[in-house]
Amino acid sequence: MIEFAGWHMPVWFTSIVKEHLAVREKVGIFDVTHMGRILITGKDAESFLNHITTNNVEKLKVKRLHYSTICNPNGGIKDDIMLQRAEEERFILVCNASNREKIYNWLIKNSKEYEVKIENVSDQVPMFAIQGPYAEKTMQKVVDIDLAKMKHWRLREGKIDDLHIILARSGYTGEDGFEITLWRVTHKEKEKAIKIYEKILEAGREYGIAECGLGARDTLRLEAGLLLYGNDIDEETTPFEARINFAVKMDKGEFIGREALQKQLEEGLKKIRIGLKMIDKGIPRAHYEIYREDKKIGTVTSGTYSPLLKMGIAMGYVKPEYNVENLQVEVVIRGRKVKAKVVNWPFYDPTKYGRRRVK
Amino acid sequence: MRVDEYEIKEELYYTKDHEWVKIVEEEAIIGITDYAQKELRDIVYVDLPEMGRKVKQGEKLCEVESVKAVSEVYSPVSGEVVEVNERLEDSPELINQDPYGDGWIAKLKPENLEGDVKNLMNAEEYAEYIKSLEH
Repeated sequence: MIEFAGWHMPVWFTSIVKEHLAVREKVGIFDVTHMGRILITGKDAESFLNHITTNNVEKLKVKRLHYSTICNPNGGIKDDIMLQRAEEERFILVCNASNREKIYNWLIKNSKEYEVKIENVSDQVPMFAIQGPYAEKTMQKVVDIDLAKMKHWRLREGKIDDLHIILARSGYTGEDGFEITLWRVTHKEKEKAIKIYEKILEAGREYGIAECGLGARDTLRLEAGLLLYGNDIDEETTPFEARINFAVKMDKGEFIGREALQKQLEEGLKKIRIGLKMIDKGIPRAHYEIYREDKKIGTVTSGTYSPLLKMGIAMGYVKPEYNVENLQVEVVIRGRKVKAKVVNWPFYDPTKYGRRRVK
Repeated sequence: MRVDEYEIKEELYYTKDHEWVKIVEEEAIIGITDYAQKELRDIVYVDLPEMGRKVKQGEKLCEVESVKAVSEVYSPVSGEVVEVNERLEDSPELINQDPYGDGWIAKLKPENLEGDVKNLMNAEEYAEYIKSLEH
């Protein structure tokens, strides 16, 4: 068990490699209750969220969700989020555990001119993620929603036992899957949430479900090329530098950070995110330096051993001129320069793994 | 001997950092304990020590990496590295599978064995030590 943003959480249940491969090949369940859930309701909810976030909330239809960011006035990322639109005027903003208070306070601070109600429901809304090619079959045994008709980025509401649930077809592993929130369960009633967790676990047993810890969550998201706040992005990094341009809609009108981002588009980027695959043996880790021809060109922000590829992989930032696919670079591992090459994500073969795999 | 799920071998000496050393004639064979490999789980890379390097007791000998982190292995005795387990280069998981056997890391020619051993734990002492960590 480790301490993570104030939560006691397991790094693994059996082993990171086993849990990781279960999600790529079968199905896995994660307790992600540590994440932040903020409920935003009211007449101005849409315009308020369009002012706060970088994606276009006007284009986000009811019963759908999208990935977005919240930027500071300099265009630096305050957090990357999932925004769920349950009803015309009812949104659920899912933010990172470490940013729960920061984002809640930021929303409150910037909401004065809007008719909205902002409620931090994180401690009353347990959340689980069910991920992998057998996630649909597993969840179909638990919910009475027709999942065959539910596409990625869709949101449905329903019931399990006597609890109201919101089911999102989304995740943080690169695989098909769901993120489910339970409304509402106070700390005293936590047995209700545990019962549902166990019900899903039981439903997935015939498909080889694995309980997954933070370790596999990290290796899975890294293989998929997904960002970890605090490592790969922070308030000093913009969405363009992180190459999540799809989460920023410059043509939607005013939002916090827009001016600075516009300026960056005109002046060009100073750094850009790249993927790295090791050519020689060695495991790149956060803060290791990236070199090219004896010159330091950047820094690793996340790195690991890829259980699927059985080699070291990483993400990091370099000067934009080095963002060239297959460019050979070096990662400094304990004083030794080890060969690597610049690659795009996902790190796995998307025809064989991930939600777009060829079935 | 076992403490909970952890195996401890009678004939070895142990450190507080969970290395073991086995004295065979003139050589000291070094590895990490069952407790250490279970704490680290999936060992995926071993940065073996250089042949001929001289280390002091308690000095860093090499690193082993799990998926999650890098861990340092400290030498239980002073001496010169005379052999390394090259099988670990392609099969680091041997440490998980057989920490006291095929998963050995290096052999040292000891310099001050008698003195060094006084600073190490025997199996019973190590078992007590593991128990103290479990609470």
